[in-house]
Amino acid sequence: MDFFLQLLFTGVGIGAVYALVALGFVLIFRATNVVNFAQGEFSMVAAYLMVVFAVDLGLPYWVAFLISIAGMALLGAAFNLLVYYPLRNRGFLPVLISTIGASIFLGNTTLALYGPQPQVLAGWLDTPGFQLGPIYLDSQYLVIVTVTLALVLFQYWLFEHTLLGKKLQATSQDKEMAALLGVPVALMIMFTFVYSAVLGGIAGILVAPVLFVSIQMGSAIALKAFAATIIGGFGDVAGAIIGGFAIGIVETLGAAYISVPFKDAFAFVVLIAFLALRPQGIFGERVAEKA
Amino acid sequence: MEISRRRLNWGLAATLAAPSIWGAGRAAGETIKIGMVLSVTGPAADNGKYALAGARIALERVNKAGGVLGRQIELVTEDDQTTNPGAVLAFSKLAAQPDIVAFLGPIRSTQTHAIAPDVLKTGKPVCFGGTDPKLTKLGNSWLIRFRPNDTYSGRVIASFGVETLGKKNWAIVHSTDAFGMGGFNALSASLAKIGAKVASDQGFPNQNQDFTPVVLAIKSSGADIVGSYFTFDNDVALFARQLRQLGVTLPWVGSPSAVDVGAVKLAGPALYGVYGVADYAVDSSPQAKDFAGGYTAMTKLQPDIYSSWTYDAIGVLCDAMKRAGSTEPDKLRAAILATRGYKGAEGEYNFDEFGDGLHGYNIVRNEKGSIVFDKHIEFTD
Repeated sequence: MDFFLQLLFTGVGIGAVYALVALGFVLIFRATNVVNFAQGEFSMVAAYLMVVFAVDLGLPYWVAFLISIAGMALLGAAFNLLVYYPLRNRGFLPVLISTIGASIFLGNTTLALYGPQPQVLAGWLDTPGFQLGPIYLDSQYLVIVTVTLALVLFQYWLFEHTLLGKKLQATSQDKEMAALLGVPVALMIMFTFVYSAVLGGIAGILVAPVLFVSIQMGSAIALKAFAATIIGGFGDVAGAIIGGFAIGIVETLGAAYISVPFKDAFAFVVLIAFLALRPQGIFGERVAEKA
Repeated sequence: MEISRRRLNWGLAATLAAPSIWGAGRAAGETIKIGMVLSVTGPAADNGKYALAGARIALERVNKAGGVLGRQIELVTEDDQTTNPGAVLAFSKLAAQPDIVAFLGPIRSTQTHAIAPDVLKTGKPVCFGGTDPKLTKLGNSWLIRFRPNDTYSGRVIASFGVETLGKKNWAIVHSTDAFGMGGFNALSASLAKIGAKVASDQGFPNQNQDFTPVVLAIKSSGADIVGSYFTFDNDVALFARQLRQLGVTLPWVGSPSAVDVGAVKLAGPALYGVYGVADYAVDSSPQAKDFAGGYTAMTKLQPDIYSSWTYDAIGVLCDAMKRAGSTEPDKLRAAILATRGYKGAEGEYNFDEFGDGLHGYNIVRNEKGSIVFDKHIEFTD
């Protein structure tokens, strides 16, 4: 039982990171009908910004965090203007390819600017972890789960209880109708990119003390987060969160009880099962209905 | 103006002779090119940077001393992106350049396996650093290894753990790529020979994001020592941290990645006290110290296995070219394999008929972040 609880805790922690990145995927998909393949690189860039401000320049952690998040907001805005906006009327595929190009660009630019050595970023708490009976609770995983849940609540409040949230929802549901009703659609899409970049950035900063800061860290997380969005139902916020946690737990338990070498495969076995049996995911609407 | 016949003849002669005179001058100034496949991007990009620095130090020294066969040596590099397809593409691009006389291949066994068929087709010496023992037994005589292979690392890890540390119940943690599987096979075979057993076999995919299942399996296996074959620094560091966090304090003897500069920096105290086999150790010989001096002056970093083997490979290649008096592939290969007693940064090179140049390993220990040389174990069989 101790063995299981230890694994469950780790699975929930990793799953929270997938959930955060998956949220970014979902928000952009809902607003633009496009999958942003650079979502993982948002996490990587934010982690490197933290290394620059907190480690290299020695700024206090929270100051470095706020500057990094501000940087991510700017990156999200620039991404919208340079990667999405010029191609917005060209259909799904050109934008998708554009996001893949942006992903490569961000990875290689960071590599050129910072070099290839993985970096260490300190955790948010001074203590590395707590022993709770037989279970070791990594303090960074506790932070990850807490911040993820807080962001989910914030997002619920934003979308359900604010005018901005209603406008964002209207934009994601029907851009033409939203525009006719006076919603500034382009501005809402801009906000969505900014918010998604910030979410991805927070995920990167949260996971960096656990997985280290490297050029590849974003793509490894994004692949699982992408699977999480499909399992949850592409376009569904609650689905992305549940999908993220599900993937984290399934891969950790699968590795422990079945096979560690096939750990990565478990997430994708679940993904394939969903694509075959329930392609719309847990909460998603049927593709035919969406069309 | 009228042009006389004599002037016309001189003009024609000069015109005809000029290209050959210019060509002769150019030939005298031509460099000898060595191709190098290395990771500039991807998860091993930092290792690639170290490898290039090691090769450049050797190159500078050779060129300062007048070059080889009256010509300077030039390095031509291609990025393997830390992937097998990337390695194949990078090697193909280099192999397509006819003036490249020899190559430095990857340090990773899996990538060396990937390029092996193209190496055979190219028919020029390829120095590589992958330690899977099979690589020099593929029937591909152009593959020449500049690091000790894993039959040696397996024997040294097993003998040190069992005979020096007195531990006979092993948990082996290894990546599931060619390097990790080759290492696991070599270590488990060596353990079986000296009466120790494998209590837990823990393979994992590279770039793993969590080692909790592996650590818990080790904990419950009853193992009294950990042996390891990791491919990437961040995997070593993450495993080390989670191992210590989850309360496992077993002694650990690992392959070179457990004690390389990148892993030591990332893991911090989690790797203190860990033993590793290392083909390069700064205090193992005067040549190793000399290399460390040059490397640190150039990069401000401590050298490790990624840089030392490329430094030695360039040195041996140039030495072989001088002895062969030629860069012709067959003669160059024969001269490399005839190398005896070449004292490099990694040790003394004595090539066998398979193309393995080194036959022993150093044992080193992480003393609070510093890698300390313990002893060198050389094999003659």
